[in-house]
Amino acid sequence: MEKIKFIHRVSKGSRFNQIYVPKEMEHEFQSGDLVEVTLIEKKSSIYYSSDLINLSEFKENLIKNIFFELNKFKDIKQIFIIGSFLTQKQDYNDIDIILISEKNIEKEVSTLLVDKFELKFHIMSISENNFKLLQKFCPLTRSMFFYFISNKKFKLPKETEINKDHIRFLLMMPEDILKIEVNSKNFYDSIRRLLTIERFLENLSLNPLEINKEIQTLIGQNLAKDMRNNEPINDRIIKKLRNIIKLKLNKINLLLKKDE
Amino acid sequence: MSKKQILDEFTNILAVALRHKIGNIVNPNEIYAEKYAKDSEILFKQAEKIKEQRNWNYRDKVEIKQKLIRKLRKELEEKDFLPDEKYKHMDPEIEKALKQLGLL
Repeated sequence: MEKIKFIHRVSKGSRFNQIYVPKEMEHEFQSGDLVEVTLIEKKSSIYYSSDLINLSEFKENLIKNIFFELNKFKDIKQIFIIGSFLTQKQDYNDIDIILISEKNIEKEVSTLLVDKFELKFHIMSISENNFKLLQKFCPLTRSMFFYFISNKKFKLPKETEINKDHIRFLLMMPEDILKIEVNSKNFYDSIRRLLTIERFLENLSLNPLEINKEIQTLIGQNLAKDMRNNEPINDRIIKKLRNIIKLKLNKINLLLKKDE
Repeated sequence: MSKKQILDEFTNILAVALRHKIGNIVNPNEIYAEKYAKDSEILFKQAEKIKEQRNWNYRDKVEIKQKLIRKLRKELEEKDFLPDEKYKHMDPEIEKALKQLGLL
C-alpha cells in the first residue's frame, strides 16, 4: 500500500492529547484505519526564573537547541542553564549546565554539546535527592539557582534550613587563606563565598549580581575586577583582604551561634 | 628560612590540602565537588612550591611523613563536622600525595 502521510502538531484535548487529520486528507485517513504515529521533533519549552529578564533571540534559540539535544538522554530528569551566560551580555566564559540525573553523564553530554555547538560548556550533574536537600540548606546552591533557565518549571523552596556542618565545611577555605598564601582569584572567591553565607544566614537576597556589587563596594571596583582576572596583588592588599575575611568569619560565627 | 622552618611550613600546608581533599571525599556534594577539589589543588600547589625550595634526603622524607601524619590527624580532629569516616582516608591520601611530590 502506498504510504500517505501528513505532519501535524499534537494539540491538547479536554481529556487526551490529540492529532487532527487535515480536512483535505479526510478521505485518505478514515475512521477505523490503522495508522502509526512517530515523534519527529520534541517541543522544547523554556522556563525563566522569575527575576531573569528575557534573553536575546540568539541566546534563547541556542538554549532551545541545547535542550532539544539533551532531551535525547533518557536519564536526564531536568536541565538548568545557570551562571554568567544568563546575566552577562558578553562577559561570560562558558555555558554552565546543571543536569538532574541519577547517572553521571557529564562527559557524554559535554562531548555531544561541544561537537554540536563548538562552544565551551561546563556540565555538572546531581541526583534529584541531593538537589532537593541542597536547595534548602546550601547558600551557594540557592545563589546559583537565583537566575536560571530550565526545560521544566522550577522554583526554589521558600523554607530554608541552617545546616551548620555544611556551612562549616564551606568556611574551611576562607579560614585557611588567613594563613596560607593563595592567588587573588582565590581571595575573591572566598570573599564571595562569605558574603553569600552571611546573606543566607540573615535571610537576605542571594542574587549573585547584588553579591558582586557588594564585593565591589567592599574592596573597590578596580580591585574586584583585577582579582576576578587573577591579577597579582601586593602584601598591603592581602592584609586588607584578610581583615575583611576575618570580620566576615566573625560575623558568620556569631550568626551561627545565635541560631543555637 | 631554615630547612626545619621550610619543612614545617610545607607539612602544615600539605596537611591542610589533604584535609580539604578528605573533606570533599566524605562530604560529597556533586554540584561543588569540582570546586572543592580545586580548593585542595590550590593548597597542594602552594605546598609543592615550598617543597621545591630544598632538596630532601631520606631522613627528611621520613620526618616529613611522620609530621604530616600528626598534623593531618590534628587537622581532621579539629573539623568535628566531618564524619569519622575521614580517618580511614588518611593513610591512602598521604601515600598518594607524597608519591606525587616525589617524596616516597
